[in-house]
Amino acid sequence: MSIGILSIIIFLPMLTAFVAMLLPLNSRATRNVAFMVSLTIFALALYVYTHFELTGAIQFQENYAWIKSYGISYSLGIDGFSLIILMLIATLIPSAYLLLWKNERSKSYWISMLFIQTGISGTLFSLDLFLFYFFWEAMLLPVFMIIGLFGSGNRVFSTLKITIYTIMGSLFMFVSILYLGVAHYYEFGMWSFALSDLVNITTIAREQKVLLFFGFMLAFAIKIPLFPFHSWLLQTYSNSPTGGVFLLSSIMAKLGVYALVRFMIPLFPELFVEFSVYFVALGIFGLVYFGIAAISQLNIKKMFAYSSASHLGLITAGIFALNVQGMMGSAFLIVAHAIATGGLFLLVGVMERHLGIRSLSGLGGIAGRAPWFTLFFAIMLFCTVGIPGTNGFVAELLIVLGIFHYNPYLGVLSALTVLVAASYMFWVFQKAVLVKSDNNVSNMQDLSLHEILGLLPLAVLIIAMGVYPDFFLYKIEPSLQHYLIDILHVGVK
Amino acid sequence: MQWIQLGYLLPLIIVGSGAVFLMLLSPLERLSMERFSLLTFLILLSALSSNFYHFGELFTSFPMKEIFSKMLIVDSYSVYFDALILSGALVTSLIGTHYFQTKRHFKKEFFSLFLFSVFGMMLLVHANELLTAFIALEIASLALYVMIGFQKIHDKRVEASYQYLVLGSISGAFFLLGTAFIYAGLGTTILGDIGKTLDMLIGKDVSLIVIGGMFVLVTFLFKISAFPFQNWTIDVYDGSPLPVTAFMAATFKVAIFGFVLRLMLIDLDPIRDMWDTLFIVVIIATLLYGTFLAVIQESLKRMLAASSIVHTGYLLIAFVSIGYAGESASSSIIYYLIAYFLSSMGAFGLISYIAADEHIRVTYEDFRGFAHVHPYMAAMLSIFMLSLAGIPSTIGFVGKFYIFTGAIEAGYTSLAVCGIIATFISIYYYFKLIALMYFYPACDAEWDDVPSLRGITPITIGIIAIAVIWGGIGNTFIAYFPGVDFLIDTARLSYMSLFIK
Repeated sequence: MSIGILSIIIFLPMLTAFVAMLLPLNSRATRNVAFMVSLTIFALALYVYTHFELTGAIQFQENYAWIKSYGISYSLGIDGFSLIILMLIATLIPSAYLLLWKNERSKSYWISMLFIQTGISGTLFSLDLFLFYFFWEAMLLPVFMIIGLFGSGNRVFSTLKITIYTIMGSLFMFVSILYLGVAHYYEFGMWSFALSDLVNITTIAREQKVLLFFGFMLAFAIKIPLFPFHSWLLQTYSNSPTGGVFLLSSIMAKLGVYALVRFMIPLFPELFVEFSVYFVALGIFGLVYFGIAAISQLNIKKMFAYSSASHLGLITAGIFALNVQGMMGSAFLIVAHAIATGGLFLLVGVMERHLGIRSLSGLGGIAGRAPWFTLFFAIMLFCTVGIPGTNGFVAELLIVLGIFHYNPYLGVLSALTVLVAASYMFWVFQKAVLVKSDNNVSNMQDLSLHEILGLLPLAVLIIAMGVYPDFFLYKIEPSLQHYLIDILHVGVK
Repeated sequence: MQWIQLGYLLPLIIVGSGAVFLMLLSPLERLSMERFSLLTFLILLSALSSNFYHFGELFTSFPMKEIFSKMLIVDSYSVYFDALILSGALVTSLIGTHYFQTKRHFKKEFFSLFLFSVFGMMLLVHANELLTAFIALEIASLALYVMIGFQKIHDKRVEASYQYLVLGSISGAFFLLGTAFIYAGLGTTILGDIGKTLDMLIGKDVSLIVIGGMFVLVTFLFKISAFPFQNWTIDVYDGSPLPVTAFMAATFKVAIFGFVLRLMLIDLDPIRDMWDTLFIVVIIATLLYGTFLAVIQESLKRMLAASSIVHTGYLLIAFVSIGYAGESASSSIIYYLIAYFLSSMGAFGLISYIAADEHIRVTYEDFRGFAHVHPYMAAMLSIFMLSLAGIPSTIGFVGKFYIFTGAIEAGYTSLAVCGIIATFISIYYYFKLIALMYFYPACDAEWDDVPSLRGITPITIGIIAIAVIWGGIGNTFIAYFPGVDFLIDTARLSYMSLFIK
């Protein structure tokens, strides 16, 4: 049997991790190897991107039987929506490695990062729900390790908290998956957990379907996190090491949104349409709620945690807006947010390494000491706020448009609330970076070459996608139209 | 020509005569404990290899029908369970090697008792008659009572032994009473015949059989420590020497399920529905109470004992599903038994290897920072915890998948949800150990007396750990190597052999 490119992308990091674990490599060597692997994966992802055809169909499929007696198969494939997240991950992870270059001096840190990459890609490519669940859970263990081993503060408690929280969500999803599998068995007389088979089920009554819908939704909402399933967020983000926060905010949360589109829309199209109004409202509520929560935080990491959750609310609202603008905007914001928030968390990590303080009141006047840092901080911030010329602007504009089409009142509300982010973000920028204060920030050093190299592609992407968005998103459009027209039957307004 | 059929009973004969043989040898001064341990191992190994002669075949037979009437049955099902019990015993003897060497209070008779216990369990799954089953149960239990209390200067052991003895005997009495009722109602105690006679009574008053069956089930619930008969579990498991605990928790449960599944599937089938509601209550209470007990434990051994109650709850979920989804539910029980057997055997075995004596290294706190001193042991212990918790890529996950699928297939979605909730609470007490091992710095010097990874015991545990992972991901990628599919298929095959008339 031949091994496809997607399998290589999934398992290369894992194999490297195993080899690194067994060989007596030191942390530097492990890091270098991990970085090389991430670059290789970037190259492979580029190959996938260039060979991806402009259709809404699933491509690069691989299909092997796994547990035959239950029709469980190892089946992989990507469509436009997963493609864009694949590109995102492939770009972000090498950048993150460059920024974490000097931070982490432990071998197990890099090994965990490699394992996480395997889990993420596996989740992204799975077409079989059992396989998807398998990776979805397996992804959690290295995160558990990274937070617990390298976190700060009451890290053990926060590790257990996020683990129990996310597993609670995923277990309900697990029951739903099993229910679908059994329903398929009853209707067609054979077992299957493949998404393409499960969508054909017609026998499930509405009440059950609603329960299943929420079984899935719970898992994704906790991962995103959507209000009110966010209570793990603050503690985990503030106690995690930089790499952990980066992964949680810019990648794993996106996988929650991704799964929402990839699995919820085909499985429950009519419920998706029916309940969309609640989730748009919930998304916008989260946007406001987390925005206000962010204003009241003095700890920069916690503030960015809330701001990240706030934007994820907007992404969710865009997904549920049921039109191509909203969905396109969400896809765009997934990328923009991942880059900007990821960049911000990595920069905060740099700041943390030099200064050790994270409270806003202890900062000030960084700009004078670290011009490069200031420059990148500003770019990421502008993107988060949605200044024209950055991709954040394009994304937010599209989403607001989409929501406006969906419901004018909600549209107006969402347009107004985008301002919330601007207020606190500029305040942070002014207070921590620009204005000189009495606080001693003399330990702050400017970014090293590694870090500049790591952030440069992100900054370039932010601007380039802001100036010429079409170039980056034309591959995703057929997939989105497939979701909207073929599955949801809502059409392009 | 009768004697040829003895071939079917060969594993049983080997273990039984091996037990007698060891008993006779035990007064000899020249033979050391190590030799005895080796002998036990060889006897079990030869029994297991003779057992594989019929493995994977679909058949049913009553060897020596003229002499034994239909007391004993040999079919794919019992062969399958024999294989499980024998591997359990084999693993126990391997894991125990280190323990028995370091704890000098064990005498050589211990191994003879151990084999008698194995013999009783095997007889139980071969039993085709209620009284034979009772005798088999008593052989297995009596040997266990003594094995638990072998260290007679230790109060905890003696107490555990007595507690188990008294409670176990009472529950055994219920079994006898139940058998008497069933005999009174149907005039037979032979499985198969009970079912046939019961079929003819449909529509008539069967309350005597219902009461009798109920009493038999009480014994069953007691032995597998389901609510409300679970109270002995923690004390007895905690009071037993660790290898014996592992043996009880994993292997004895297998044997009990082996018999009761046969009874329920073939004989009490027509009236099984009557107990469904009762079982649902029992399951929910077992899950709730077991989870509660597991969460509050400080000692690892007690936590594992309490969590075994929770696992009983999962098994019972599959047990009620049998009525509506017979095949997948009963083979899911069989699969889950393997999964639980491997994970708990590994966990108990490793802890018994690490624990220096009964006073140190038994609580969660004792494992603080363990991973930084003994990374491989910590990794194995984590694998077992993950498997018990049912995290993907371990055999425990596939086992749970299988059970919950069966429950949903049978229409018990709410029970599956209860099981899921218990699972997610269990994450807390399993992950607590992993967190403690990995996330705290090690305190030096405290770990000096932990034995290094040498000898038979760690190798066995390592193999179990690999098997746990393989059971979760394994498939036909490697040709001719048994994976998940193989286990499921053999479980189904053994289920099918029950219905060959």
